[in-house]
Amino acid sequence: MNHSTSPYGLQPWLAAYGEHIPREAPAPAHAHLADFVRGAAQRYATQTAFTTCMPNGMHGSLSYAQVDALSDDFAVYLREIVGLAAGSRVAVQMPNCLAYPVVAFGVFKAGCVLVNTNPLYTPIEMEHQFADSGAEALVIVDMFANKLEGVLPRTSIRKVILAEVPQFFSAVPRAVIRGVMKVWNRTLPSVRVPHVRLAEALSEGRGLREARRIDPGAYAAGQGADSLALLQYTGGTTGRAKGAMLTHGNLLANLEQARAMGRSHLEDGREVILTALPLYHIFAFTFNLLAFWGAGARNVLVPSPRPIGNLQRAFDNYRITWVSGVNTLFNALLNEEWFTAFPPRHLKAAVAGGAALQSAVAERWQRVTGTRIAEGYGLTETSPVVSFNPLAGVAKPDSIGIPAPGTEVRLVDDEGHDVPLGTPGELIVRGPQVMQGYWQQPDESAKVLREGWLYTGDVAVMDEQGYFKIVDRKKDMILVSGFNVYPNEVEDAIAQMDAVLEVAVVGVPDAKSGEAVRAFVVSQDPGLTEEAVRAHAKRLLTDYKVPRSIEFRTELPKTPIGKILRKDLRDEARRAATAR
Amino acid sequence: MLTPLETKLLGLMMAVIMLGMGASLTFKDFQLAFRRPAGVLVGLACQYGIMPLLGFALAVALDFPPALAIGVILMGCMPGGTTSNIFAYFSKSALALSIMMTSVSTLVAVAAVPILLDFYEGLAGLPSEFVIPASNVAQVLAILLVPTLIGIGLRRWNPNVGATIELIGGFLGVVVILFLIISWVPRNAQLLATTHWSVYLATIGLGVIGMLLGYFLARLLRQDPRRSRTIALETGIQNGPLAVLIVTLTFSGTMQQEVLLIPILYSLFIVLSSTVVTLWFRAITNREEHARDNAKVPVRLAAPA
Repeated sequence: MNHSTSPYGLQPWLAAYGEHIPREAPAPAHAHLADFVRGAAQRYATQTAFTTCMPNGMHGSLSYAQVDALSDDFAVYLREIVGLAAGSRVAVQMPNCLAYPVVAFGVFKAGCVLVNTNPLYTPIEMEHQFADSGAEALVIVDMFANKLEGVLPRTSIRKVILAEVPQFFSAVPRAVIRGVMKVWNRTLPSVRVPHVRLAEALSEGRGLREARRIDPGAYAAGQGADSLALLQYTGGTTGRAKGAMLTHGNLLANLEQARAMGRSHLEDGREVILTALPLYHIFAFTFNLLAFWGAGARNVLVPSPRPIGNLQRAFDNYRITWVSGVNTLFNALLNEEWFTAFPPRHLKAAVAGGAALQSAVAERWQRVTGTRIAEGYGLTETSPVVSFNPLAGVAKPDSIGIPAPGTEVRLVDDEGHDVPLGTPGELIVRGPQVMQGYWQQPDESAKVLREGWLYTGDVAVMDEQGYFKIVDRKKDMILVSGFNVYPNEVEDAIAQMDAVLEVAVVGVPDAKSGEAVRAFVVSQDPGLTEEAVRAHAKRLLTDYKVPRSIEFRTELPKTPIGKILRKDLRDEARRAATAR
Repeated sequence: MLTPLETKLLGLMMAVIMLGMGASLTFKDFQLAFRRPAGVLVGLACQYGIMPLLGFALAVALDFPPALAIGVILMGCMPGGTTSNIFAYFSKSALALSIMMTSVSTLVAVAAVPILLDFYEGLAGLPSEFVIPASNVAQVLAILLVPTLIGIGLRRWNPNVGATIELIGGFLGVVVILFLIISWVPRNAQLLATTHWSVYLATIGLGVIGMLLGYFLARLLRQDPRRSRTIALETGIQNGPLAVLIVTLTFSGTMQQEVLLIPILYSLFIVLSSTVVTLWFRAITNREEHARDNAKVPVRLAAPA
């Protein structure tokens, strides 16, 4: 189909940009992230860059200049003392804390590649990710370093650096927090692998930097937009986690795209953003860490948002203007009296991603805080921002909004042809934020990247104004006797029952219909029966969409940020079917 | 008996504890508490309804001589102990409610304790030399409000200082009790060995029965289980060191020794029973919290306040 006449080639969303969103995102002003980090550090030198806020209100902060100097020290340590070369991979595995930005920026300044790793990973997952990425150094929070013993020998890691949650706190609060962690929570295990503490590593780096007058600016000098910056692992739906290769250019472009989308509500140097989502996740990494560093914001880091009461002091003590989150986080906040009785007064905007935002949550948020939650859409493979609902102008409920400036989006059928307006099709993306491919997986990369277009595997529809709505994951689609069933539609119908807390719908093999619909239900009413759920579904759905079987569960498998893992349920159901 | 130095030390430690209590408070907390005053009112009903009556009932039922009777009645009339907050913290109960109950019952104590003490002393028909003058009690309580206010200010000024003082205050609550036990028990080993079982029953019972009654009264008055657990801990845990301080300022010599027996034994046993209860409550709350984090927003929306 000719692009200019296809509904997507016309880019109807540009009309919805309004006066605030530029048609093209500004070109990145820096060649690579190291320069970007230094640029903002010079502009906002004395301002507070990061504050870690503990559940009891204890806190520690670093200014832009401090983060800049400390990350220089870390770059020198990695290059001169560990002896890494440009392009070497450095795995980082920690919750939100002041050490994170120092280490991540230090890795970029050293010209190395960051490998974000979930601190809650099991040893098996850690081993896979370390070995696959070929990481040579690991910065890990001491809380989880006891998992390393069996893992290290099967990786190329030759240096382990231990960070801590109250890193860079002043002495008394640090001692109190570590004391409580050690004695009461028992979350500080003894570490039996050879290691160095981050504070030592930094002081060694600083010593050498000063003694030899090293200019850490030289390490990244040879790097450009196409140099690899980040290996961000993503579960995918089959097999083991794959490392999405994100370049300096990808991340710099995407942070500008994100800033362009939020420009109406962004005042450089004056924002305070609450970071409750983990920084090792691509959403918080690009959005909270990079985009708001560039905007001169103060970033309030919360190590763990669970239980949600952990956020109370952050809201009490800081003038929070922006917050990013996922549906579960906003939902949990709205269940807290301290939040609904005293909603943050300076809040300007909230953004949601990661998983679909429920309209009940969005409405209630608007009523309680007086601000909108702008829902967006993105993938690890796109650094992650693809689209957002505009903060000023029309936002549509249940929609993922309009593509960010410089992003092309099309919806295609199985042959790759554009589908007509209003028809569901696979969402494909082209733009400066699209990854180079999966690390050392040319076959997997070729499957999703064709002629510069990333095939997301998500099925969506577009309306006349260019707003997109996700229908479902293509891989989650259920084929019942030749009819397409979208699990989201069935889940939404069942979730309307008050007795249903959560629901997940998957397809299971069926001798008669090929696949059959199965619902996994978490009930909050012990009296809820299978018959009642089916009767309810029958009222709302055509027969073939009504679940053939319903299974009650006490909880559903979820990703670290709270997305329900249909894949796990499906695998389980298939295993059960073959075992029979 | 406590030496004058020890009494002064006790007073100083009480001041630090109150500083810690203040540091755990913001004015927002008061506003939140009084948005739903039911919780605080139920707490006050337990604190000043159940406990003094329970103290009196134990004194009568166990047929205590005046020195013991005044001890257990005084203990019953005390405001909530600040150690309850640390137990509430570790049991993951409604910490804000616990702090609020302690603070409000301490504020109200200036008026309530002298009146209640007067009433139950009269009811028990205690001889005049065992009566604690109301003005003594009011004075001590009024003085302790000063560090509380300073604490509130410190937390506003610097959250790190606030959180540290809050923790120190909380731990000091336990330290004071240890201090009392260490300085008092060895000197009174003889007395303890000959102490009648009924005294042990009264000192353990005051706390444990108090928690039990507190929980059921709270449930009866439609508090949710988590708030009821908070109220239970709060009701059972009385401010033991404050009772000791009042006794040392009122009595002297052997008489002081005898009256101190109940407040000190109570302080000892309440730490033990609260620890057990805290571990139990913590397990319950952990389970509930997980469910609540995942709870969905009700489909029908309540009107925003």
